[in-house]
Amino acid sequence: MSPHGTRPARGTGDARNLDYLVAHLTDQLAAGPLGELGVRIEIRGEAILLTGTVPSAQCRDDILRSARAELPGHPVHCDIVVADNAAPDHAEEVE
Amino acid sequence: MIRIAAVGDIHMGPESQGVLRPSFETLHESADVLLLAGDLTRHGTLEEAQVVAREIKDLAVPVVAVLGNHDHHADCADEVTAVLQDAGARVLEGRAAVVDNNGARIGVAGTKGFGGGFVGRCAGEFGEPIMKEFVRYSRHRADTLRAALEELRDQDCDVRVALTHFSPVPDTLAGEPPEIYPFLGSYLLAEAIDSAGADLAVHGHAHLGTEHGMTSGGVKVRNVAQPVIGRAFHVYHLAR
Repeated sequence: MSPHGTRPARGTGDARNLDYLVAHLTDQLAAGPLGELGVRIEIRGEAILLTGTVPSAQCRDDILRSARAELPGHPVHCDIVVADNAAPDHAEEVE
Repeated sequence: MIRIAAVGDIHMGPESQGVLRPSFETLHESADVLLLAGDLTRHGTLEEAQVVAREIKDLAVPVVAVLGNHDHHADCADEVTAVLQDAGARVLEGRAAVVDNNGARIGVAGTKGFGGGFVGRCAGEFGEPIMKEFVRYSRHRADTLRAALEELRDQDCDVRVALTHFSPVPDTLAGEPPEIYPFLGSYLLAEAIDSAGADLAVHGHAHLGTEHGMTSGGVKVRNVAQPVIGRAFHVYHLAR
């Protein structure tokens, strides 16, 4: 008889915990077709918050679509902003 | 006064064609040179490089660039470099360039640089071959930056600027998770800058970082990643 009796082994046998899913999504955004390393993916309870700055609205939409596809059942909140391409209105005097 | 415009991490793809060009066309009013601090593309493909090339071709100010890690992703960095050079950019990797414009003589020493971390929290050249290769690669990039800056000493430049993609200091990484600092820069770059001397160091790479920093030798460092500066470029005025 096992010293642990019939108690189930640690872990659930299902590695689809949210933290692993987020890690895999991070990898997929970086190494996949989006090539995106500049977005932070944070867990907020059962929900996900995406933050960062991306070069285009299409890029933001693609990331949001990927996140929702990879994390079904988890609300995905998107605070990603698109880069401002305006010229600066002042310069810095570097001493 | 010397006017340095700089931006990095513009991450251009086919859908972003034309978004920076209107701002870049105003550069002759505010700057003597445009520095591009790497990650100009998203995946380092020739198609993306051609988007960047059309954004910078025939600008009224000289363009000097280094590549970033994204520009290496498709394993055709030499071809990406050639596309940008065909558009008129000086693309530096362990080399120096001197540009003359508006009576200003600006020396730029450039390298992509690499990671490894910062003093007391850095990788060492020890153990598995891949670990030693990692550190040697970073050290080589820093050594070439030092040599390029030293080469500029005798070129009668009004100012010398170190241009990298990876960061030479941790200051400008503030806002990034500290655990990933070793992947964002290396003190070896700062040591090279301080030993050879420079009037300004400019880098990108750290999107969540901070614009302002300084090496321990007193060289001002600016993180010009576009998500950090929030504009098409920033302009820095340096005394001659």
